[in-house]
Amino acid sequence: MKKAVQLEKIGWVVFDLLLLLLGWIFLVTCTSAKDTFPDPVSVFSMLFTSFVKPIGTYTMWGHIMWSLYRVMVGFTLASVTGIIVGIAMGSSKIAEAIIKPIFEFLRPIPPIAWIPLAILWFGIDEASKYFIIWLGAFINVTLNSYVGASRTDETLIGAARMLGAGKRKVFTRIILPASMPQIFAGLQVAMSSCWMAVLVAEMVRSNEGVGWIIIRGTDTGNTAQIIVGMITIGVIGFILTTAMSWIERKVCSWNTTL
Amino acid sequence: MDEKQQKLLEHEKQQRAQKRKYLMISVVSVCVFFFVWELITGILHILPDYTMPSPVKVLDSFIKKFYTKTPDGEILPVHIITSLKVSLFGFFLGSVTGVPIGIMMAWHPRFEKFFRPLFDLIRPVPTVAWIPIMILWFGIGLGAKAAVIFVSAFIPCVVNSFAGIKQTSQVHLWVAQTFGASRREMLFRIAIPTALPSIFTGLRLSLGSSWMALVAAEMLAANKGLGYMIYTSRSLGRADLIIVGMLTIGAIGAILSYVLGIAEKRIVKGVSR
Repeated sequence: MKKAVQLEKIGWVVFDLLLLLLGWIFLVTCTSAKDTFPDPVSVFSMLFTSFVKPIGTYTMWGHIMWSLYRVMVGFTLASVTGIIVGIAMGSSKIAEAIIKPIFEFLRPIPPIAWIPLAILWFGIDEASKYFIIWLGAFINVTLNSYVGASRTDETLIGAARMLGAGKRKVFTRIILPASMPQIFAGLQVAMSSCWMAVLVAEMVRSNEGVGWIIIRGTDTGNTAQIIVGMITIGVIGFILTTAMSWIERKVCSWNTTL
Repeated sequence: MDEKQQKLLEHEKQQRAQKRKYLMISVVSVCVFFFVWELITGILHILPDYTMPSPVKVLDSFIKKFYTKTPDGEILPVHIITSLKVSLFGFFLGSVTGVPIGIMMAWHPRFEKFFRPLFDLIRPVPTVAWIPIMILWFGIGLGAKAAVIFVSAFIPCVVNSFAGIKQTSQVHLWVAQTFGASRREMLFRIAIPTALPSIFTGLRLSLGSSWMALVAAEMLAANKGLGYMIYTSRSLGRADLIIVGMLTIGAIGAILSYVLGIAEKRIVKGVSR
């Protein structure tokens, strides 16, 4: 029974893909769209050759590695700082009173809008990109850690206190684990916003990376290159989010609501 | 009884005093923030003006920008209206198509089976990655930006409407069926009201992401608008105008989501009662 359902699902996927391909072929052969739209053959041949033949200075692998490296630097910095700030805000009223107004004041500004200022502050090379990626993730991680920590069950804290746990023990054994699911939800969102931020940062100013591939495609009028870049971006984005939810399930395996 | 009340009153008083204390800390914190900013820029000039202007200078530029066209060619209200027009247009298109498609996908299994693979194909591509191809197709005018914003508003709308309808309790549907409701009635009287909070979450996410996509699109290709303004100010080294633009972008984003929140409160309440 389950197998039949799965087979049907695969059937629909294949059907859809075929329909899409046929529509695409129709579009490029029978209408005037062929001037601005590449045909499937050139896109897929470019997709496969791009892994051996360089676009610009790097092959596709090189560009992917550049982008991923930037994401990892920004994301790691953001998760460390964001969790610290968020939990501080959630578990201490004084920290909350100090940080929250400034945080709420800066929060509505989209991270992308920081790019011009970041370039003025850190120059046009790597540092400004790390800053943008860091910012994109930091807001999400901080917010979620804050919510997670401030929603810790008061009775649990009270019970631990009564049984003689010190402040530090309450923090490491109760507040931290209780906010874990929220923190991971934040990290999950942060990962996708990092991926978005790196693209914009690379589109605005860079010489390598997947964001550069697509904007370079626009500058040279090479639509095949743009589509190849978009496919790669989609696949990597998908892998990143899947990996994040896999880690989440491993780390928070005690949480049955996942 | 009297004693109890007094205790309660005292407790309340204490809590209020605590609240006041934290409010004071907040006020002091904001004041210190601005003071330090002013100190290192306006008074001590540790940071040069073209990387970090003082808050006073930012305020001054903000007011001046309302009537001076230099250096980017338009006054601030024109930039704001241009950006708002494009983003609201794209957001409107995206939500008007996205919400019904999400509802249909959740309500008709066959519709879901057909659309799901197509939708899953475009979903992992971040919306900003659509900017280059849209510029190539539609030029740098309103079309390309509206199209990018359409995509960025469409996706959260579909996802959340879909999830909302799927939350409908089977028991409610059975009850309706027992009382002879048609499938159409069940959709409009039960499933959609159940899904409304989730649909509104989708709309709020859409609004946020379309506002962000707009800024990105305007930085890459535009000759008007807030994103264009901050990006041109960068090449001119006018950090004060960048900050004015950023704060305007943030404020308008906050206002938009606040307005949507009011609409949500009205509509969702009215239906669920």
